[in-house]
Amino acid sequence: MSASLQKGLNAFREVMDAPIASFFSSCVHCGMCADACLFYTETGDPKYTPIHKLEPLRRVWQQEYTLTGRLGRMLGLSQPVSDDELAAWSELVYDSCTLCGRCSMVCPVGNDITYMVRKMREGMSAAGHAPEGIIGATKRTIELGSPMGVKLQALQAQIRGQEAETGLTIPVDVQGADYMALLSSMEIINFPEYLGALARIFHQAGVSWTLSSEAFEATNSGIQIGASDIAREIVARIVTAAEKLQVKNVISPECGHAFTALRWEGPNLIGRPYKFNVIHILELLDELRSSGRLKTSGKEDAALTFHDPCQIVRRGGVVQQPRVLLGAVASDFREMPDHGVMNWCCGGGGGVSANERAEHLRLTSFKRKKSQLDELGVQTMVTACANCRIVLEEGLEHYNMNVKVVGLTELVAEHLVEQESAK
Amino acid sequence: MADETLLDILKRRGISRRSFLQFCAATTSLLALPPSMAAVVAESLGKVRRPAVIWLSFQECTGCTESLTRAHSPSIESLIFDAISLDYHHTLQAASGHAAEEAREQSMKADWGNYLLIVDGSIPLKDGGVYSTIAGISNLQMLEEAAAGAAAIVAVGTCAAFGGLPHARPNPTGAVAVSDIIKDKPIINVPGCPPVPAVMVGVLAHYLTFGSLPDLDALGRPRAFYGESIHDRCYRRPFYDQGKFAKTFDDAGARDGWCLFELGCKGPTTHNACATTKWNGGTSWPVQSGHGCIGCSEPDFWDAGGFYKALSTPVDSVTGAATAALAVGAAAGVAIGIANRQRKARARAEHQTVTIADLEK
Repeated sequence: MSASLQKGLNAFREVMDAPIASFFSSCVHCGMCADACLFYTETGDPKYTPIHKLEPLRRVWQQEYTLTGRLGRMLGLSQPVSDDELAAWSELVYDSCTLCGRCSMVCPVGNDITYMVRKMREGMSAAGHAPEGIIGATKRTIELGSPMGVKLQALQAQIRGQEAETGLTIPVDVQGADYMALLSSMEIINFPEYLGALARIFHQAGVSWTLSSEAFEATNSGIQIGASDIAREIVARIVTAAEKLQVKNVISPECGHAFTALRWEGPNLIGRPYKFNVIHILELLDELRSSGRLKTSGKEDAALTFHDPCQIVRRGGVVQQPRVLLGAVASDFREMPDHGVMNWCCGGGGGVSANERAEHLRLTSFKRKKSQLDELGVQTMVTACANCRIVLEEGLEHYNMNVKVVGLTELVAEHLVEQESAK
Repeated sequence: MADETLLDILKRRGISRRSFLQFCAATTSLLALPPSMAAVVAESLGKVRRPAVIWLSFQECTGCTESLTRAHSPSIESLIFDAISLDYHHTLQAASGHAAEEAREQSMKADWGNYLLIVDGSIPLKDGGVYSTIAGISNLQMLEEAAAGAAAIVAVGTCAAFGGLPHARPNPTGAVAVSDIIKDKPIINVPGCPPVPAVMVGVLAHYLTFGSLPDLDALGRPRAFYGESIHDRCYRRPFYDQGKFAKTFDDAGARDGWCLFELGCKGPTTHNACATTKWNGGTSWPVQSGHGCIGCSEPDFWDAGGFYKALSTPVDSVTGAATAALAVGAAAGVAIGIANRQRKARARAEHQTVTIADLEK
């Protein structure tokens, strides 16, 4: 119970770096980021203009890191950032930003606004202005091991269920395996078929893999809330387990921010390179497919589309793989308008789905996805992020839309060539 | 002879009325006047009775006179010059010495207030103007005397219009343009080194036809000829738009006629009519012959960086003041950088590890 404005402002000073200084000084106030933001386009409220969400951080930069700003502050021309301001900005930084990165794509001067929102959350969380919902998820992750409170016993139950379903053994704690798979708690609770799909695919492809009983949770609430100390602790669990099992690769599951946390932020958080590679499940599936180890037969006849998870496609660079994989298993794959790196967020990433007070705003912003789907008129939407999936399902239900959401890995698993020899 | 009209003179010199009308139509279009004005131009020009013109040459190279008068075949342009009463032009007139100066003084007296004064060359002001004198009279004095009785002044060539080569750094003679000295007379600048003959004639034709100055731009140049840049009218412009540039004068791009921007062409910043009227009776013009525009119709073109440096390269080396400013700026930048680093290091030192207990107040 020790969060304070003092700590928050100190964190702002701490995160200030060359990119942030150059981004703030380069901003030309064109407002193009507004039109790229789901929360602005669906509400029309100018307070949701992405760069505006950073105003307190910008003021700290200007007042403490620029010559004119310092002079201005000394002469009493500008007031320091207050706790009330941070409280007012909490909604803008947490509820109306999914860290989707679309604003960073359109900025004409190349400002990575998303990068700055992530950094700003460091100060917001230290000042005690993180939303209750995300604080709860973070506490559960530290205390219980997962943001949804999923414990090992729950996973073990799901493993038994999927083993019965597939007739295959799901390996746990295998020393020296090539791949260590991770799961998001959403998958463990809501979509255990992902685990079964992994077992079937790896069985056919002859991949040596394992789960770890010590680190199976891939998500990282520390990244979402913006507390690097906590994020470090969470990512270190995975690193310790993977290096203990001496696996060559760790597979990031169908979860967006888990990929960002593990693939991009992790080594910076722990301050050293990993002793293993991080690969996204879609990258691995495409590799297996192109090397001929993964064979599929038959195709889905129904028209379907693909929802690009922001952290995997736009921020993660896994753009072509899902399309190649879909091409192999679907005969009528239709791209959404703005597909690929410019696709619109589901509205629930970056911790928004764990933030109850943001629910109304999240459902309002879902209108964008709804209009994209209405335009295509398809009945099936494939995606590759469990969080997107749950947010999409909630949105579809809210708007009474008859669209089914499917995980891409499961879809691939359904079309595996049955091999006699493998049985 | 004095009552002969321009058309009579031209007829006597073997120019048909048809050719004259063609010339008038061409001049009219060059001046960007409506086609219906061609008849007015023809009528007025045809009736003109040898307007008195005094041509003063100061610090110049005679290139402007060459350009206007020494066409390979006698053109209407050159005949127009023959037709006007060129009472004083020390390159062209037969008289010399005292006789020449007397002719100038007589003409000035006879047509006081009505003659057209054409000037080529710049005027030296340093050391009392001793660097250029004619018949012992300094250029400055001669200009001031002649200008007093002129109806209008045409500054022909870049030297007269903007100071030109004599004005180039370090400008040892203190050379200035006509417009730097004469403030109370209408002045038309017809810059170029030398100017395009058709432009010169067009300006005269306009003056003779309408008795007024053509529409001028901010530098006193007739908009009809100097309104657009060489670049905007250049036939190589499509290559510029496609990003196709010759890199050397003998590469494949140069042979294929690509844009000469990177070889120093000053077309984008130069206003003149070369690209449309061309030179030597429409034969060619510098860019067509494979060399970039050197910007000769612009002020200070001689000091505007190398002819072979692309426009995007800086003109001047860094001066002392700029170096000092740069040093102060760099020092300030380093100081602010150090201060900022310290601030950040302090913030780091004050960092208290955030645990889940620290997320709430």
